[in-house]
Formats: sequence, structure tokens, C-alpha cells
Amino acid sequence: MGTFRYVMRDTWRLLSRHSGLSLLTIITSVAVFFLVGASILFVLNTRYLVEAVEGDLTVQAYVRDSQEALEVVARKASSYDSVSSVRVVTSGEALERLKARLGKLAEAVTLLDENPLPPSVEIQVKKASFATVIARELIAMPEVEEVVYAGTVAERLQKISHFVARLSIVVLVVSLASAALVLFNTIRIGVFARKEEISKMLLVGASRTFVVFPYVLQGVILGTAGAALSVLLLWFSYGMAITALERSLPFLRLLTDRIIVLRVGAVLVLAGVSVGWICSWLAASRFVRQASRSI
Amino acid sequence: MEIRFAGVTKQFLPDIVALQDIFLTIEKGEFVYLVGPTGSGKTTLLRLVTRELVPTKGRVTVGDVNIRKIASHNLAYLRRNIGVVFQDFRLLPDLTVYENIAFVQEVIGVSSHDVQKRTNDVLDRLGLWRRRSLFPEQLSGGEQQRVAIGRAIANSPSILLADEPTGNLDIDTADEIMQLLLSINASGTTLIVATHNQYIVDSYRQRVIELRKGRLVRDEKKGRYRVDGDF
Ligand SMILES: Nc1ncnc2c1ncn2[C@@H]1O[C@H](COP(=O)(O)OP(=O)(O)OP(=O)(O)O)[C@@H](O)[C@H]1O
Ligand SMILES: [Mg+2]
Repeated sequence: MGTFRYVMRDTWRLLSRHSGLSLLTIITSVAVFFLVGASILFVLNTRYLVEAVEGDLTVQAYVRDSQEALEVVARKASSYDSVSSVRVVTSGEALERLKARLGKLAEAVTLLDENPLPPSVEIQVKKASFATVIARELIAMPEVEEVVYAGTVAERLQKISHFVARLSIVVLVVSLASAALVLFNTIRIGVFARKEEISKMLLVGASRTFVVFPYVLQGVILGTAGAALSVLLLWFSYGMAITALERSLPFLRLLTDRIIVLRVGAVLVLAGVSVGWICSWLAASRFVRQASRSI
Repeated sequence: MEIRFAGVTKQFLPDIVALQDIFLTIEKGEFVYLVGPTGSGKTTLLRLVTRELVPTKGRVTVGDVNIRKIASHNLAYLRRNIGVVFQDFRLLPDLTVYENIAFVQEVIGVSSHDVQKRTNDVLDRLGLWRRRSLFPEQLSGGEQQRVAIGRAIANSPSILLADEPTGNLDIDTADEIMQLLLSINASGTTLIVATHNQYIVDSYRQRVIELRKGRLVRDEKKGRYRVDGDF
């Protein structure tokens, strides 16, 4: 088709004529989509962490350091129906556990000459929702110094995750708006540079849609290229970030499967296509409508 | 397609009346010269036919359609039937001769096979084959003129509007251009040629329409550039 070939050639002409501008636009959208993608991944990870913690059925009661007190608390805990198991964890055991969790970093712990970890009673509840009740009962006992259960941790994490989510919406809006603006202007420059050609096309009977098409394609290509490159960048940097975090904070449960990057990436590319499409359509069609008006 | 002006007035600013109260019918297949001093409204009249301009008063119809009322996509179709040779050529400077002529076909969706064939035909017919890969600025005025004509006839329009098609051309080249326009007219295309060229009007006698200060002052079959004794 002559039309198809024309559109392809014309789009290529647009991209290469203003190649510096095209490059700048792509770089901007890469930065924007990377930022957006990174904040989405961050939010997803904190959510995942919160969920993992929330699902934890363990209530840990730290007790004044006496065998007697430990037994009193353990007995009291066993008396509840909602509790499935109770275990006493000594200071030594706690230290061993920490070492196992820390992995390579465990050596750091062995440098301590005195064991700083208190003994505790570890209680498994039958359902996560029972944890709060049990915790409240236990903290009321004089022997118990502190109760730590998923709820408290989850609450704190939840706060952070809410904050991050809200922040990332702001990031999303601001950065997408700036990407849109840059794209819009790039297309407009292309349109203005070819005013004459556009009025010519309209005068020989090209439809408005046809005139606008190469510009829309230009916008879609720039937007998509930016988004796709940012996904590539995210893929590698996410891998590196996860590896680094696993080495230094091995107890953190993260979304280590990089399939998540692809999922987020698909959303980003879709956003790139839409932003490119909408911006270039707006930039070009308004001008073309004006140009085709008879005076 | 028949072109009809019914009481057309075109006013630009409150004090610039480019055309006033024009009544005019041009039949299908006619050859018409549009003459008159500079500023008399010739270009304005042509631009009303393509609806680059709309009348301030009155009605322009092309093939029974009031073109003021036409929807934008139908306007595109109408324009595909009208070839225009602009007074200032308006070739696209970034496209070669070949591309300038191919372009107007591509934008209306002619298949690439046909574009190639028709463009080559036109280049041949206008003697531009050897110049096909040059850019407009590398061409002489007469050659640019021919490219402009080639572009206007590439889509085999039923109406051809030529604004000063022999401006800046010597007599021999003007003759060539006229032969070309006559042959296009002979194949059934309606032609309106706006011109200051007394030589062509008097050598190739056709209907003459004369404008003065926006008014139609003469409409003569087989007319001359000037009325006898008028200087
Ligand atoms: N867009 C416009 N705005 C204001 N005035 C205009 C416009 N276009 C044309 N005119 C005026 O209308 C009058 C007729 O112009 P037009 O171009 O039709 O003359 P013409 O007969 O083609 O002249 P020439 O032989 O020099 O080409 C002129 O006085 C011109 O200044
Ligand atoms: Mg003129």
C-alpha cells in the first residue's frame, strides 16, 4: 500500500529530522518510566513483606529472666483454646536462631562475649486474628516484659507502605505529566516545522486522520521506546538490588522472582503507548483542525 | 464537474473586498482564462473553488454541491478532484521532484504500484525524467513550474486550477506549458487559468473572464487579453 509506505517513511523522516529532540524525548521518558517502575516495585515489595508478616501466627512474649517466670507464662498461654502450641526459647536458642537467620553475617554476632538476647515464650495461635487477644492477655501479666507479634510489626510496616504508596502516586502523576509535556512539545515542534506540508496535504485532499497519523506514530514510538528501555534498565537493576539486599539483609522476605519486573514492565509499556498516543494526537490534531479551517 | 458562483462576495477586512457579487458558471470540460490586473481577485476566486476560502456572501457550488456545507471528509474527497498549480508553486523543499509528485498520490491512498506508474508517466510527459531526483531549489523556475503542474495533474483531477502557470517563463517554454494544458483539457479536465500573459491568451483563444477590483467586467467566448482599443 502506498499509504502505508508513505506513513512509514514519513514517521521515519520525523524521527530522524529532529533526531536530537527524539533522543532527548526518549531519555526523558526512560528516566520517568524508570522512576515510576522503581516506585511501583518498592510498593509491591513492602506490601508483600506486610502480608508475609501478617500471616505469621507467632506471638513472642519476653519474660523477666527467671525459669519460674517462664514456666508461669508458658502454662498460662497453654490454657487458651486459641493457642495451638507453646515453647520456651532460651537465650542460647535465640542466639542460634539469629545466627542462622543472618547467614554470613553471623560472625559479627560471635564477637559479642555476652549473649544479649532475652529468653522468651513462643506461642503459636491458631489464627492470625487471635494474636492480638493473646498478646493483650499476656502483657497484663507482671512476669511479661514485652510482647512482640506480627500485628505490631505489620502495623508499623503498613504505615510505611501506605506512605510509600501515597508518595509513589505523587511520583507517578508528576513524572507522567512531565513525560507527557515533553512528548507533546516534541510532536508540536515536528508539526510546526511542517506547517506548509500539512496545509498542502489537506489541500490535495488528504484526510485529517491521515495527516495526523505519522505524528501519532512518532509519539507512540517515542513513548514506547522510552518505556521499553526503562523496563530493560529495571530488569537489570532490580536483579542487582535484590542480590545486594539478600546478601546484606537475608531475613527480609522480598519478591525475588524477576517475573514481577515483567509484569510491572507490561504496565509501563502500556502507559508509554497511551501517553505517546494521547499527547501526539492532541498536539497534531488541534493544529491540523486549525489548518483545515477555511477562512 | 460544473463550477458555479452565485452572487459571491469575499471580504477580508472590513475595507478589503477582494471579490464582489460574482455570478459565473463554468461547464464541465471548459477552458477558461481568468485575467485582470494584479490585486483584482483572481487568486481569491480560485481559492474559493477549493474552499481554502469561504464566501462572505453568496454561494459556490462544485458539481451541484454547495461547498460551504460540505463535511470535512467530503471536502477531502472533493479536493482530490481538483488539481491546483499555485502562483508560488509551493513545492515541498525537502522532497525530490519524484517525491513531490508521488506525495500527493500517497496521501490520498493510491497503491504504491500505481503511484510509481503514474509518477513516472507524469515525469515523462513533463520532460522531467532526468530531473526526478533533484530537489526544488536545484531546478530552474520553468522546471519548478512544470513540477507544480505535474503534481496538480498526478491524481487526474476533473478540475485543474492554474494560477499564473506561465509566469517567469520565456515564450518557448510558455508554449510548451500551454500545449500541455490544452492536452489535459482535451482529455476532459475543466481548466481555469489565471494569467497576466497576453501572449498565451491571444495565441490560444479560449473563453476569457476579466476581473477588475473584484468585479466581473467581461466574459467573452474566444476572447482576447484586452478588449480591442482598450489599453
Ligand atoms: N488573506 C487575505 N487577507 C487580506 N487580504 C487579502 C487576503 N488575500 C487576498 N487579499 C486581498 O484581496 C485582493 C485580491 O487578491 P488576489 O490575490 O486575489 O489578487 P490577484 O488577482 O490574484 O493578484 P495577482 O495578479 O497579483 O496574483 C488583494 O487586494 C489582496 O490584498
Ligand atoms: Mg494571484
